[in-house]
Amino acid sequence: MSTITALGLVLLVVMILVGGKQGAKSFFSLILNFGFLFMAVILMAFHLPPLAVTLITGVVILAITIFMGEDNLVTAQTAFYASLIVLVVLVLLIIPVEHWAMVQGFGEEDSDDLEGMSILIGINFLKIAVTTTVLSTLGAIAEAAMAIAAGLAEIIQQHPQTVPKKLFKNGISIGEQIIGTTFNTLFFGFFGGFLALFIWFSGLHYTFGEVINNKIFVAELIMVLVSFVGVILTVPITAFVMGQRQRILLTGASK
Amino acid sequence: MIHEEKKRTIWLAIILIVLGIGSMLFVTHNQLLYKQPLVQVVRVTNSARQKQKDNFDNVDHLTSQKLTVKVLNGKFKHQQLVLTNQFSDSGGLDQKYKIGDQVFVNLHQNSHQRLSGTISGYKRDGVLVFLVWLVVALLILIMRKKGSLAFLSVLLNGVVFFIAIQIDLSFQGEHVMLIFSVLSLLFATMTLLLVLGLNRQMLATLGATVIGTSIAMLISLAVFHLTHERGMFYESMQYVTQVPRPLFLAETLLGSLGAVMDESTDIVATLFELKSLDPNVSAKKLFLSGRKVGQTIMGPLVNVLFMIFMADTFTSSLLYIKNGNSWGYTFAMNMSLGTVQSLISGIGIVLAIPVASALAGLLLGKRVKA
Repeated sequence: MSTITALGLVLLVVMILVGGKQGAKSFFSLILNFGFLFMAVILMAFHLPPLAVTLITGVVILAITIFMGEDNLVTAQTAFYASLIVLVVLVLLIIPVEHWAMVQGFGEEDSDDLEGMSILIGINFLKIAVTTTVLSTLGAIAEAAMAIAAGLAEIIQQHPQTVPKKLFKNGISIGEQIIGTTFNTLFFGFFGGFLALFIWFSGLHYTFGEVINNKIFVAELIMVLVSFVGVILTVPITAFVMGQRQRILLTGASK
Repeated sequence: MIHEEKKRTIWLAIILIVLGIGSMLFVTHNQLLYKQPLVQVVRVTNSARQKQKDNFDNVDHLTSQKLTVKVLNGKFKHQQLVLTNQFSDSGGLDQKYKIGDQVFVNLHQNSHQRLSGTISGYKRDGVLVFLVWLVVALLILIMRKKGSLAFLSVLLNGVVFFIAIQIDLSFQGEHVMLIFSVLSLLFATMTLLLVLGLNRQMLATLGATVIGTSIAMLISLAVFHLTHERGMFYESMQYVTQVPRPLFLAETLLGSLGAVMDESTDIVATLFELKSLDPNVSAKKLFLSGRKVGQTIMGPLVNVLFMIFMADTFTSSLLYIKNGNSWGYTFAMNMSLGTVQSLISGIGIVLAIPVASALAGLLLGKRVKA
């Protein structure tokens, strides 16, 4: 048995032991997300337009993560709509940022790995950089949107007459509670992976100026910062979507 | 009252925008801070595109550029010279330059005082400054004090991270696991102290984080041993300057740390709140409530890390496939380590749930006398 299969089985077992049916669903959502991610690579290799593939894959991955992770339909729907809005806003931010930064493809530090490979593959790596950045933020957006939506759904359940304006404030204050730990999740998630790169920079005595203009470093830091922006925006947008939902419910009830 | 607050928000926004414009002006005019010569492109002439075809029938086009540039700093400041550049449609290792771009160069002067140069890299610090400003501005506008604190804790972690790398290098890459295990403990303690302060809630959260992560690492090492690490290709790790295996484990440990802390914080905080609502709640009830909280957050959290770990492998996977490699080989050489990382982190995230619930339950619950 390969290590991946064995670890996968261990994860499946502990997820079911701890999470029961929900655990099994979480495991399944992970497999599906992997499938769609890999399919996106294949589709792009067949020269389908990267932006279209990115948007479709993004929506699908958000849907899988949110609807398979949350049983409460009000929470899931609100989180899904909110994360779609955030996705669109982020894509609009990421495209100019990537064109400005020019961090597509590979850096000098990759040359060992690229030996013997043909780099001229006729696919615009700048568009792929947009894809990579969008994809890396999806999980964080989904998670934040679900946390805010779940908190607000509970408030509505306990106080069904809460007005949208109050709900928005509540959403922000839930956001304040989760933002610290969410940032840390992202910080460690990304920086854990950059450990080797940072050791490389330090070991070869890159200057500060070299590091902050380095193609790979800037590419990675853009991902971290864009994820931060995504999570921050998710808070008011989710609160707003839940508020709109409540507005419709309240006016419907008063008629 | 509400009017006051609106006024304050507007003032805050104005200050942030001025700050933003100021820092953008600074970063586009900071050439004097760089020792390496910087030039700005003033004129571009492109040659005709030339078609290229590689062994795998990938079609691309190459274009040569003649760039007239002006030196922005150093002893050749204000002088003009002509550089050459070549870019492809795909742009994996090259890029197209346009008028106004600032570029790092190496300058040489020959015996006839003629200045020539080669491009060494594009200036990218402006993007980073802009994004940092955007994050800070949004945080302050939307979440004020709590938001600033969150960013501060990230900065602090960044500093400790930097110090740890210096320590790692001074040990010449030995004891990597030991260094980063101690470091993880330090990170977790520091972050939780900052978020929660020193109290029982913080200790329970820290305990859950440490125990959950440790068990996950031990289980994974046992699995590595039993499966003889089949299907793990350490040679596919990028940027490796030290022994790859401990480095990989350290990356995994650090990568999952934030998520496990995130989750333990949520569970323990909820249980403390339950206790304050119902002081007589039993340990068993607390444990079950904690498990319920954990069940809903573990799926999304595992997916957060999964997307982070896997998105990074996207570009090189695409390159492998376009170089005529099979899907299986592409996965093995690019995605296998990321998958292992996601799985180990997942195990840690899941195991932290019962540990956090049990710790909080033991700490807070009334023992029911039989």
